[in-house]
Amino acid sequence: MIKLSIPLLLTVCGVLLVVLFLFTIYILVQRKREIRFADVRDIFLQNSAQHWYNYLINDEIFSVVLVPRGRAQVAAIETIFSSYLKNITNEKVEHKIKEFSNLYLKKFYEKDLSSKRWSIRMNALYRIADFQIEALLDTCQQFENTKISEEEYFQLLKIYSIFQPELFIEKIEESSVNYSESEYRRLFVLLEDDVFIRLFEDFNSWTKKIQFAAIDTAAVKRNMQYIDQLKQLVTHEMPEIKIRALKGLYEIGVIDEIDPYVPFVTSDMWEIRLMVAKIFKHVPLNYTYAYLEQLLQDENWWVRSQAAKTIVEKREGIAKLQQFLESSNDLYAIEMAQETIVRKRGSK
Amino acid sequence: MKVFLDFCMWFFGGFILFYMLIVIVSYCAMFVIAMLAMRKRYKLDPSEYDDAHIDAFYSKPVSLLVPAYNEEIGVVDTVYSLLNLRYPQTEIIIINDGSTDSTLQTVIEHFRMKPVDKIVRTNIPTKQVKQIYESEIYKNCILVDKENGGKADALNVGINVSQYPYFCSIDGDSILDEKSLLRVMKPIILSDGEVIAAGGNIRIANGAKMQLGSVTETHLPNNHLVIMQIIEYARAFLMGRIALSKYNLVLIISGAFSVFSKEWAVEAGGYSTDIIGEDMELVVNIHRLIRKKKEKKRIEFVPDPVCWTEAPQSLGVLRNQRRRWHQGLFESLWKHKTMTLNPKYGLIGLLSFPYFWLVECLGPLVELGGYIYIVVAFFLGKIYYEVAIILLLLFVIYGVIFSIASILFEAWILNTYPRPRDLLRMILLAFTEIFWYRPLTLFWRCEGLLGFVLRRSDWGNMKRVGIGEKEKSV
Repeated sequence: MIKLSIPLLLTVCGVLLVVLFLFTIYILVQRKREIRFADVRDIFLQNSAQHWYNYLINDEIFSVVLVPRGRAQVAAIETIFSSYLKNITNEKVEHKIKEFSNLYLKKFYEKDLSSKRWSIRMNALYRIADFQIEALLDTCQQFENTKISEEEYFQLLKIYSIFQPELFIEKIEESSVNYSESEYRRLFVLLEDDVFIRLFEDFNSWTKKIQFAAIDTAAVKRNMQYIDQLKQLVTHEMPEIKIRALKGLYEIGVIDEIDPYVPFVTSDMWEIRLMVAKIFKHVPLNYTYAYLEQLLQDENWWVRSQAAKTIVEKREGIAKLQQFLESSNDLYAIEMAQETIVRKRGSK
Repeated sequence: MKVFLDFCMWFFGGFILFYMLIVIVSYCAMFVIAMLAMRKRYKLDPSEYDDAHIDAFYSKPVSLLVPAYNEEIGVVDTVYSLLNLRYPQTEIIIINDGSTDSTLQTVIEHFRMKPVDKIVRTNIPTKQVKQIYESEIYKNCILVDKENGGKADALNVGINVSQYPYFCSIDGDSILDEKSLLRVMKPIILSDGEVIAAGGNIRIANGAKMQLGSVTETHLPNNHLVIMQIIEYARAFLMGRIALSKYNLVLIISGAFSVFSKEWAVEAGGYSTDIIGEDMELVVNIHRLIRKKKEKKRIEFVPDPVCWTEAPQSLGVLRNQRRRWHQGLFESLWKHKTMTLNPKYGLIGLLSFPYFWLVECLGPLVELGGYIYIVVAFFLGKIYYEVAIILLLLFVIYGVIFSIASILFEAWILNTYPRPRDLLRMILLAFTEIFWYRPLTLFWRCEGLLGFVLRRSDWGNMKRVGIGEKEKSV
């Protein structure tokens, strides 16, 4: 066993201090390089911003000044492209960015994909998806066969969902990786409607997480095409699917009949009763008031609160609630109705 | 007599040496784990992730709770920083805990607060709420005026008033980076609710330039006491939080910036009002609940999010803060002492509790003993010199080398203070740590232990001078 002695500890301290000294030098040199890199990037940004604007927005002729020479200039172009893509929705601009990236940025990202550093590879995958560099699809497929992380595989799925939806569905089916609902939503929301419908039609063959994500995505896409499918799901045996389907229908906001929803007013689950109270927001009050009055006297606070909100938001809502106050002897329901009326009047 | 003295000196010398070796080895292990975890992210573009979650579709709504007791200087900036947050769905709840200064009036006037009637569900029993206000300018901003009951009680009122499934507690003197909430919510969103609480990385704001609740530039302050605290925060971050979080062993997530699932926090009884370290208490109670319900849930520390807070600038205020922290730590550990080495609580009982007892809680006693030993050995003559010098060298490794390593690593990955001059100043100051800052803080923490024995308690507010440079240069 090593004996703890003064010379040994002095040596350990000395070695560690030397290592830290060298590390300090490395960081300082690195900082200098980073500053130089940032300078080149900023100069290019400054000099080319107007050219980019003219090319992307004013339809002026492409200038060779815009072609990047080196990493710093690529970084500047990434900043410009990201800014345009985030702030402007314009197909022509998106197309030009795509065209340019496929031509001039491709080689940089191709090289990055073979980097030893995970973060560099991830950045490249982000850019391939953002700038739609389809020319790298084959490289991406080859990249998939190397030893990659779950995060990289997720980015690859995102890329496939953009360029090759068929391949995407195939990969999702065979994928052994179990992503979270939020991640599946991020993938599904990018899909074209026809591909998503196919995915939604095969609902029962998917795992729970994919099913939940598909319902939520259908809701956020607010497409009338999904209403029938969601209506079928409200009778699903699994309560979570029922609740999400009801929520999806509420989000889409088109309720053409109330009969399918009436049985849920007396559901055992308060979450389902809450969703029905929400759905009735999209239906005239004279069709729903009897049910909403029942929900206003529900045992659950959230259901009572939602029923009161749904009633009060209608034109004749306040009058209905006041009538209710006069006739009811349910103290909790009265309290809720009173607060809702006061708040509604206060906000006017 | 001499034989007894010899025995004492050899026994204590051996004990302290053994203890120091254990601490150094465990810190080394945690440092390596943190390094590997952080190294992976070097040069990763964070904006890609942030933007991916900016939409309400991917995120979950959060209620932001700001308990305020005599925070008239900092509270407005804190609320502005919350209004600046890039997060799709939030509500801001400022809880005035019976302040005796003009906190209430300042908030009412600044945000045009109007009294409203609102039914509050009492999920957790609290002191009485006097009035609830709503801002006329910002519809998602609520002020609750309540009877004084302490920070924990104020937070419990905030939980009762909140309407969203997650709440985030923020100190009345803290400033959040605009993307911090997005980043602290990341593990919660990505895990589909498996992560039920997450704490963010806290930074010291003294010396930073600020504008309307946002930090625009970071400079190292001139005050050496504050610089030492910056170094201390970097150490705690790299040699503790990241590694503990990796194995779900976190017992403390800072009350200055943490997010909890409301459902779990309420079931765990909310914040305890009879204990100083209410943030640690809630985390430990949630860990207990997880075990009781046998559910697969996690509590995580997130290295990214930036919450800027004001560090004490004078010895007196720092002393109070450290005494309070340590007393809180001891109280919580003592209250849950049955969890220590209890296999029923898994790694929390077998690893986390012993670590917090031995290294974090009782460590200051042993270390201070080490300092006393070195002084006594000097007077007793050369037969103890060797042990004393070995001890001193271990203190150098433990104090100086770990600190410099943390500074450098932080500079490499996070680069909070970009000026090379600032980096060199921190390194130089780290060399002096074992001679003044370390013994002082050890002494104060021992005072905290004594405070626990004497059962002292207070809200623990420190005198604020305001964080931003625009308010006062620090």
